[in-house]
Amino acid sequence: MERPRILLGTFGMILDPLLDLFRGRAVTIPPMDGALRPNTLLEDSTLLREAEAPDSLVTAKGEVLFASGKDIRRLADGATIASFSETITALAANADGALAAGLESGRVEAGGKSFEGFKCPVALAFGGPDELYVCNGSDSFAPSAWAADLMNSNASGSVWRVNLRSGERSCMARNLAFPYGAAVDTGKRRLIVSESWRHRVISVPLDGGSPVELLAKLPGYPARIVASPSGYVLPLFAPRNRLIEFVLIEKDYREAMMREIDPRYWIAPSLSAARSFLEPLQNGGVRSMGIHKPWSPSRSCGLVVELDTALQPLASYHSRANGTRHGITSAIMHDGAIIAASKGSGAILRIMP
Amino acid sequence: MPSRETLQRWRYNLIPDHLIGELLSKRWADNAIPFLAMVVTVIGFGTAIPGFFKPNALVESTRQLGEFSIVVTGLTVVMLAGGIDLSVSSIFALATFASVSGLFIFGLPVWACCLLAIATGAAFGAVNGYLIGYMRLRAFLTTLVTLVIGRSLYDILIINFAAQVQQSDITSATWDFIGDGKVLGVSISVLTAVVIAIIAHVALTRSRPGWHILAVGGSRRSAHNSGIRVRETVFMSYVISGICSGLAGFLIACRLSGAGPGTGLNLEILAITAAVVGGNSLGGGRGSVAKAIMGAIIVLVMNNGLIRLGYGTGTNQMVLGLMLAAAVTLDIRWLKNRHKVLDEVYVAPIYHRMGETQSAEPHSGSPYALNNRIAQTEYIGLGELEGPEDVILDRDDHLYCGTRHGEIVRFFAPDYQRSEVFAHTGGFPLGLAFDKAGTLLSCVGAMGLYGISKSGEVKQLSAETSRSYTSIVDDARLRDPNDLDVGPNGKIYFTDSTTRYDAHDWAIDSIESRPTGRLLVHDPKTGETKTLLDNYRYANGVCMAHDGQSLFFAESWACRVHRYWIEGPKAGTAECVIKDMPGYPDNINRASDGNYWMAWLGMRTPSFDLALRHPGFRKRMTSRLPQDEWLFPNINTGGVVKFDESGRIVETLGDMTGQSHPMVTSMREHKGYLYVGGILNNRIGRYKIPGADPVWSGPASYWGLSA
Repeated sequence: MERPRILLGTFGMILDPLLDLFRGRAVTIPPMDGALRPNTLLEDSTLLREAEAPDSLVTAKGEVLFASGKDIRRLADGATIASFSETITALAANADGALAAGLESGRVEAGGKSFEGFKCPVALAFGGPDELYVCNGSDSFAPSAWAADLMNSNASGSVWRVNLRSGERSCMARNLAFPYGAAVDTGKRRLIVSESWRHRVISVPLDGGSPVELLAKLPGYPARIVASPSGYVLPLFAPRNRLIEFVLIEKDYREAMMREIDPRYWIAPSLSAARSFLEPLQNGGVRSMGIHKPWSPSRSCGLVVELDTALQPLASYHSRANGTRHGITSAIMHDGAIIAASKGSGAILRIMP
Repeated sequence: MPSRETLQRWRYNLIPDHLIGELLSKRWADNAIPFLAMVVTVIGFGTAIPGFFKPNALVESTRQLGEFSIVVTGLTVVMLAGGIDLSVSSIFALATFASVSGLFIFGLPVWACCLLAIATGAAFGAVNGYLIGYMRLRAFLTTLVTLVIGRSLYDILIINFAAQVQQSDITSATWDFIGDGKVLGVSISVLTAVVIAIIAHVALTRSRPGWHILAVGGSRRSAHNSGIRVRETVFMSYVISGICSGLAGFLIACRLSGAGPGTGLNLEILAITAAVVGGNSLGGGRGSVAKAIMGAIIVLVMNNGLIRLGYGTGTNQMVLGLMLAAAVTLDIRWLKNRHKVLDEVYVAPIYHRMGETQSAEPHSGSPYALNNRIAQTEYIGLGELEGPEDVILDRDDHLYCGTRHGEIVRFFAPDYQRSEVFAHTGGFPLGLAFDKAGTLLSCVGAMGLYGISKSGEVKQLSAETSRSYTSIVDDARLRDPNDLDVGPNGKIYFTDSTTRYDAHDWAIDSIESRPTGRLLVHDPKTGETKTLLDNYRYANGVCMAHDGQSLFFAESWACRVHRYWIEGPKAGTAECVIKDMPGYPDNINRASDGNYWMAWLGMRTPSFDLALRHPGFRKRMTSRLPQDEWLFPNINTGGVVKFDESGRIVETLGDMTGQSHPMVTSMREHKGYLYVGGILNNRIGRYKIPGADPVWSGPASYWGLSA
């Protein structure tokens, strides 16, 4: 957020906030630097399976499963092992291989039971055989309408603990801006939650208490965080974009946009690289001399970040503006490699570290 | 209660925001702040002090101003050359003493006293100049030393000779006239100051030595490298300053008929403050005599005004110091940030509501539905070409196109594998056309209308049209000449897309959406260029209709095509023939079947169309976001559209993959093939048109089968 200042720095410090009143503050976003320096490791990763909108990778009894539309499928052979009547929005598996699934209508299915009352179950995590943590992204929008939740600058998400046996539920945290991932840290008795619209990862104490910020100022929107041997794997499903951040503070335009324009063509983050000429284009994204600059501003990208146990970034895997492996909503560590689901390009990938 | 949109339209379409940027981009805009400061100071003290504007008071204060501004003018010359002269006050004092002693002690004639004063100044200036220019000593320290030495010398002299001067009984009418007289109600010192200012202004802006001074101040090294004698120039600047101080010293000697210990004390601070407050850069190279005079007025009015209002010396010095500090800071900040301010304020969007359009999506069933027919073209010049905005073929089937390097490249028939640089224009060649004699005509971006003979000689045909009375930017200049065509009468009809942006910033014009595009005509017989139509949103492609009676031209950002009648009952009028297209039209050319080809450089997007109705949104976007992040129309997808005489759409070709022809700015049919170019592409595409006339060609269609 800092402007570089040399010479006359103090004077600028006095002058700039005054000038900002007239000209408006520059809209800035954190750079991708340090462990987040761009590469093409994700773009060049091995394709394991193509599937329609693959999402929510889980390991159950040593096998990797994923959600694809209304089906739960096995990664190894692509076979469908279960189906629902509506789109699956979240999956979780416990140590015994039992599954829990969140659905578009807000229903959560687990242990043969159905739990109603959620609006937007976008992430699930088992705390024990009978204990399930549910991230309810929003109180006003269904999971598929996530972009509208962001564009309304909502913070109506919450995290719940559900006792699968008794059906009892308790709220662990409220007023979150789209909690989109939960990983249980048993040792420290906390739940690691990625809070998408605030671009940060927080921890919610299991035994009550208010959330604590662990990792902030991410250059993208964090999705399903999972534990790994070295710490955590955190996919960012879309990059932050200065034009989008600008639209978020432009009330009139944003409201008119939501009222009049098909959500596919909004100035909003996207899971997939541009598919239609009706989508917005930014100057930097103009194709010139046959080249689409990889560093150009983009509404979508592919990004998986490895974090250590203190939630600090160790390494990252990118598919940049000119790539296609965008919209990584889920990634897990399996057999020493990261498996990532690119919901935007319909592919499940193995990243070679 | 009008709606929000109506209010926005009034706010942004009626208030001419764009003038701020246009004013700021003028070179004289730098004078605005000192000028305002001057007006405020004069009015402020003028109202605070009773009798400030009374003629007698004015004559007295302007007399002082005359002497002072001569000193400041001299100092400004030194500052423009990149130096500083602190010794002006001691030179001034010594010159005063020289003239006073000349008259009262030695009884010299007045003209000799004047010369003596000037010689004293020149000699001291020469010492400064020698030490700084030739010995390469630091200007600040050197002139500080000469200031101290000069002052001491003066003090010694005044102690020893003051009595002699006092007791002298010599009088001179000329001397008194110079000191007290008026010519046409103006005192001699003001007249001298005006003459000096005019000479200095003309010399600095219109003479070789003046340019050398500015060049040395702007960049010593570059000046040296371009052969300017830097040392001599620096030397001369100090001599000029010395002469000015000497002359001012003579004038004050005449006025006061004596010299005292206080003569010229602290004058250097006043003079430097004046020069800097006026807006002359301490770094050198930037400034003017007008700024010096403005600074002199501000400082003197403030200095005298404070004294008249009863403030002591301490307050006075404090105010001067603060003014100097503020001016120096502003100068540095402004110099560093001027282009940023200009960037932030220049784009001045207006409200524009685009009409409802038909879909161009594949399988939408509309006549505009895009497809992939030009996704697979034969590439010409891939990897060699950069930016073929327009393409054209001659009678021998050779292919010509412009490049962003300023060249016109010729590809040789029949296979277009070999190429040569046909001509170098220096600008960015955009639209191309052949006249009857086979001369290649081109609209060269940022330059004008050019003709290239068969042997490759480049000749400028026109670079300007008539100036309009209300425009602040020089709209006589052709800023973005874009496409052209030749009428049967030999006249060249062409467009100048915008008066607001240079050719390479063409896409930014879409964000502003201000209608400044023009249709012009150039008559090669008389060499005259006239504006036919004005106020179009990016006037673009031009194509003579098959009958030669009218022409079509595209209005890109409005997604419209107009027809302008050259002959017939509607001559001189334009009508819109295609409106509300889903794409932005570029060049238009004839097709073999009697229809017309039109290129689409990009596609409308719902988000951009909506932004056009939110001018405030676009304005804030341009000031808060870097240019790479701005919302643009989708110029990554284009196409080719064929329409008939009445404006009905016949067919549409596209490249949905964006791999071959993402943006199409031109296409030319020639013997059964369509040649496709794009200003941001690195190739020309060759597409076989199914069922097209295999012998039809452009030159034959325009000028008949034989040359």
